[in-house]
Amino acid sequence: MDQKTIRDELRGWILERSGATPDRLERDDQPILDEGLLTSLDVVEFILFIESIRKEEVDIEAIEPEVFNSIDALVEAFFAKAPAPMESALG
Amino acid sequence: MTTALELAPRLTNASLKKVWTVDETFDWSEKIEVGTDWAMAPELISIYGTETYEALTEEEQKRLSFYEIVNFFSFVLYGERPLISGLMTRMYRKNTQGPLTEYLHHFVDEENKHMMMFNGFCEHYAGKVYPEKKIVLPREYAAGEEDISFFCKVLIVEELGDYYNLAMMSDRRIHPLVAKMNRVHHVDEARHLAFGRELLREHASDYIDGWTDEELARFRGWLVDYLISSWGDFYNPAVYKDAGLPNGYQIRKMALEHDTCRTFRENASAKLVDYFIEARLLEERPSF
Repeated sequence: MDQKTIRDELRGWILERSGATPDRLERDDQPILDEGLLTSLDVVEFILFIESIRKEEVDIEAIEPEVFNSIDALVEAFFAKAPAPMESALG
Repeated sequence: MTTALELAPRLTNASLKKVWTVDETFDWSEKIEVGTDWAMAPELISIYGTETYEALTEEEQKRLSFYEIVNFFSFVLYGERPLISGLMTRMYRKNTQGPLTEYLHHFVDEENKHMMMFNGFCEHYAGKVYPEKKIVLPREYAAGEEDISFFCKVLIVEELGDYYNLAMMSDRRIHPLVAKMNRVHHVDEARHLAFGRELLREHASDYIDGWTDEELARFRGWLVDYLISSWGDFYNPAVYKDAGLPNGYQIRKMALEHDTCRTFRENASAKLVDYFIEARLLEERPSF
């Protein structure tokens, strides 16, 4: 899964969970927690979702709440190794 | 009605009469055959009654029961960690000095032993405790709300755990060591629950009339979300993976949405929800 697909998946999950309109998460640097799009209780479910697309468990002790601040921060924390869209297309 | 202050010395005496240690009570050299023994009552398995469960052979169901009990013991263990921490910070306050704090010491002592007991089982038989995935984000509280939220969390982990303990402690189908752990846990938890229910009822009646309608609605919304989220602990994708079932995350989603599992959660939560409604902490039954 390339980074664009991952970003779309993360955005889709957050919007569906929060019931927010798409304009509240148009950009990947828009705040997620400060905007109240996710609560502590949502984060538990969100981590399991991240694990399902990452195909690897998340070590909760190794992360700070700040990684949930934006889609950019999420990708950097959990999907840094995923290929960029161009790299993925080139195989 | 007996107050928490009146209850505390009686519970302290009961704790003193029933002192136990993990090492003297449990023998981890007892063998459990994964896939041969039931480690959890089948009706309590998270996906029981679903098509996915029915498609498994009995051996696969028994294998799943082993990882389910390891998961159950793991998240109860993790639930007890903040409980102990929270109880410690509530000792020796102006409103808990004397018999209340004396009993809180026994409460903490027993919870600490439960954690050791669950860890002993999980590490010995599974080689691990399933890690928890919770991150606590800062919240704003109304007056008294932090304490009320804390005791609600205590009650949820203990009441749901006790539902399972009661169902398994006398079940002859499951491995005797697991049945015994459930029994030992239940005996202590019966006291903790009696104390926690009363203390929470008193806190609620002291504070919630002073909350605005908005604050009360916000709290009730949080409590419903917390209760539903607590049930999520029972549906662990890592358990399904360890039991050899593919697509653990999809199985969790399926079970959370399945009518049979939903009805089970409703029934298992009924006593707790009744209490929350009676204490005015909830207005109506939540949808599971």
